[in-house]
Amino acid sequence: MGFPTAPMVTIAFKDLALSNAAQRGMPHERICFTPHPVWGKTDAEMYAYLEGNDPVSGKPLMKEVIDSLTQPLTADESKTGTVTPVVGPPSFVDTADNLQQYFIDNGMTDFMQIALPTQEKVDAMLKGTSHHPDEVVGKMSPARGSYPEWSFTVRQLAINAVMAGAMPDYFPIILALAATELTALSSSTNSFAVAAVINGPIRDKLNMNYGIGAMGPFSQPNAAIGRAWTMLSRNLGNSGVPGQTYLGTLGNGINYNNLILPENEKASPWTPFHVQKGFKPEENVVSVFVGFSISQGQAGVGLGVKPVPQYHEALRYNMIPFGPLFGSLTVCDPLVAQGLVELGYDTKEKLADWLQKNSQISVKDAKSTLFAARWVPNSNPPLADDAMIPRYTKADSYNFVVVGGQTNPYHMVANMSYRASISIDKWL
Amino acid sequence: MNRRKMLSLLGISPALLAGAPVDAQKPKKSDAKATLNKVEALNPRGTPPPTQLVPMAPRLASLDGKTIYLIGDGFPGADHFLDQIGIWFKKNMPSVTTVYRLKAGAFADEDPNLWAEIKAKGNAAIMAIGH
Amino acid sequence: MVTKAFKDLAILNAAKRGMPHERITFTPHPVSGKTPDELRAYVEGNDPVSGKPMMMEIVDALTRPLSEDEKKTGMVPINVGPPSFKDTAVNLQEYFLNNGMTDFLPIILPTEETVDAMLKSTSHKPDEVCGKMAAGAYPPWEFTVKQVAVNAVMAGCRPEYFPVVLAIASSGTPSLFSSTNSFAYAAVINGPIRDKLNMNYGIGALGPFAQPNATIGRAWTLLSKNLGNGGIPGDTYMGSQGNNLNYNNAIIAENEAASPWTPFHVQKGFKVEENAISLFRGLGIVPGQGARGTSTDTPKHEEQFSDLFSVFTGFFGGLVIADPLVAVSLKSRGYDTKEQLIAWLYKNTTQSVKDYKSRDFAYGFDYPRALKGLEPYATWYKMPDDAMIPRWPHETDINVVVAGGQTNAFFQGGSLSYTVSISIDKWT
Repeated sequence: MGFPTAPMVTIAFKDLALSNAAQRGMPHERICFTPHPVWGKTDAEMYAYLEGNDPVSGKPLMKEVIDSLTQPLTADESKTGTVTPVVGPPSFVDTADNLQQYFIDNGMTDFMQIALPTQEKVDAMLKGTSHHPDEVVGKMSPARGSYPEWSFTVRQLAINAVMAGAMPDYFPIILALAATELTALSSSTNSFAVAAVINGPIRDKLNMNYGIGAMGPFSQPNAAIGRAWTMLSRNLGNSGVPGQTYLGTLGNGINYNNLILPENEKASPWTPFHVQKGFKPEENVVSVFVGFSISQGQAGVGLGVKPVPQYHEALRYNMIPFGPLFGSLTVCDPLVAQGLVELGYDTKEKLADWLQKNSQISVKDAKSTLFAARWVPNSNPPLADDAMIPRYTKADSYNFVVVGGQTNPYHMVANMSYRASISIDKWL
Repeated sequence: MNRRKMLSLLGISPALLAGAPVDAQKPKKSDAKATLNKVEALNPRGTPPPTQLVPMAPRLASLDGKTIYLIGDGFPGADHFLDQIGIWFKKNMPSVTTVYRLKAGAFADEDPNLWAEIKAKGNAAIMAIGH
Repeated sequence: MVTKAFKDLAILNAAKRGMPHERITFTPHPVSGKTPDELRAYVEGNDPVSGKPMMMEIVDALTRPLSEDEKKTGMVPINVGPPSFKDTAVNLQEYFLNNGMTDFLPIILPTEETVDAMLKSTSHKPDEVCGKMAAGAYPPWEFTVKQVAVNAVMAGCRPEYFPVVLAIASSGTPSLFSSTNSFAYAAVINGPIRDKLNMNYGIGALGPFAQPNATIGRAWTLLSKNLGNGGIPGDTYMGSQGNNLNYNNAIIAENEAASPWTPFHVQKGFKVEENAISLFRGLGIVPGQGARGTSTDTPKHEEQFSDLFSVFTGFFGGLVIADPLVAVSLKSRGYDTKEQLIAWLYKNTTQSVKDYKSRDFAYGFDYPRALKGLEPYATWYKMPDDAMIPRWPHETDINVVVAGGQTNAFFQGGSLSYTVSISIDKWT
């Protein structure tokens, strides 16, 4: 920036601040720490922070701030050049049991048993694609712009796919997922989740589960592909080190295997998701989403009324706690989709239009949410508190996929945004 | 975490380098007995880019009579906290002028217009990062 | 009479309950949500399984004399295979996976040696009966300490985690339940064992960042499959859409040191120094960042909780999972105890009778109870549509635990009911 700066960070972010400064080329940056948190404290409490000590150095905080702006630079602090980070040797040799624990203890897994990535298994995985092992597939970071992006090759992805328990014929889906460059472990303090919608004939070729228990632990491709996403985000995407590259304060159970949603195209009365995005029905495509989480819709009003459940009312109701950071992804059992068609919503677009028009929030309510600034439009004069604004400004913030085994007309809603669709066929 | 250790690692999981309990070399063919049950597993980690070191800007001799920008990054509460820093300077170092600015853009974005303004009109900055 | 979607379930269940030849008539699926005209067409049409006229089949089932097989009595043992399997490690992994004994991810093979090591972590005898479990309205299976050890090994548990897994198993609560709802399960862990096992109750507490959290949760699902006969889609698992949390379940170690409130197990009558696990079940967990009631100056977290709860079904309880920053802030604003907070939430989280009655669960479960005179449902069903009633039947339906790494003042809300607390020490 060209002028002396004293960065001030709360102690909760100490590891993050130090490692991030180093990754960005200032390993000796003079960072001053305050107690945590600042948000929600009174003015008097904050002033007391300033009159107290830096909880890391133990020295008076404001003296440290002044020193950091006025003490002459050391030789280290003025250094230029480049430093190459080390990720360890190309392979590890030990007994299988020791290697399992070694991989776990060194943060290379999701803390569970992996299939050890031997040369033989990795070679077999590489047979699942026509692409060269050294081809660069993409790059990834836990928050674009905030951390250096790591790049990765087909071979490096094969190693992680093996570890997750994937079979070689799943590999093109994992390559396509990685090519979206969306990490499964965002660094945000929010504890985000990700989802992947899978379309095309590959769903049946791999025996993916889009029926009973589709989102649960009942199918190898669903489980292993989802798990591979987390594994590769950690090992290849510079993500998932708590305190440094992962800050989600509560964490998210979905991060183990992520939401893998092969669409039940045959039982759906609507256009498949990938066709909505411009692909042909016979193409194989993965579409990725990021956001908060997913919740079951059974509490929606209008489901227990006669003569037929008012599914659209329930959908609208279940989106009430959604914030403005992300759009919506509704996962309908085929029975719900068929019910919605009978209610007149014969396309996903019609349902999105209805929700966009009928799902509104008052300015007063919007202002009382955490991310209000992203919600309430900046207008002059400002909008009155009782004015109603749309929950989302675009109908395409409402996405729908059909998944489930038709044992009951249930749906789930996720506060998640669509990010990208990538051809799986390109990675065959 | 120990800062020196952190610096040496530059963002890499520390355990990867700290006293690895495994051989990093391929076993010797002759030592058949010891390697009977050993397996070679490939390293799953990716390719971090090299880090370009950034020399820090020269420091001031003192803050007397200087203008210091107080920069918030938009996290809730940072504006109130920087107000208190302004009050602290008024009480304890009245010759210092403070100017509050909210950095434009998302948390991690650069704000070149603001950096140019500080270079032209100010001498140093205090930046509140995070919560 | 059963709808066609439940064909396998009905036939298998009849056989398991001793009537392998029960005369079951099938209707098309679904019945729920169909108009009277559509239902009449079902009745006048054929049984979709036999292809014969449905009503004729019912008459026949009630009047045709019994065959020899249909009159049979006696016991039929259920075959679960040999006591062990021998093959190469690779083949065994595949065998376990293909025979439904895993969550479709790599396991640690349960050898005599690894199971013995697990058994050393408890004073209980390998042959002692630990408990029994059923995944729904099925005959429960009984299991021993050794059988639990086999599943704990498979999940990747270290021996020192074993008493926690035994405590879960002894509760007889499966993490995979047969309902067409896709239930989720959670366990709150309290006491010094959290630190002894290095459980994660800080940053990313609910995510894939710690071996004990990950593998204890995974063991719950594996033992539910293998010892509780749960998790067979179409047979003992009918969840239409499935639940991603079933892979590892929500393992919530309470952050007792950073919490300003009484730990959960102490609320349930245990001593602070005792180790206990408390189980929950319901629909899932959602983050609260979209809820109303916040402001940059003074976040009103209790209003946020209430707002998030306002879209929950009262059929399951409400569980607040609060980061310590949230708990400390609430305490500073006058909520000295969890009970004070719960009392406020119970009083202020309300719904209209109209909304209540229009819900699926009210219609399906509460209304029949109201007819029987059960309170509060009987009173609620007599009240006018615009009257306001509590979200939950009882104040005790709301619970609060503290977990998280204090990187932000966030919380998550579980649509989860407390079921039982079990001593872990009893199983050491």
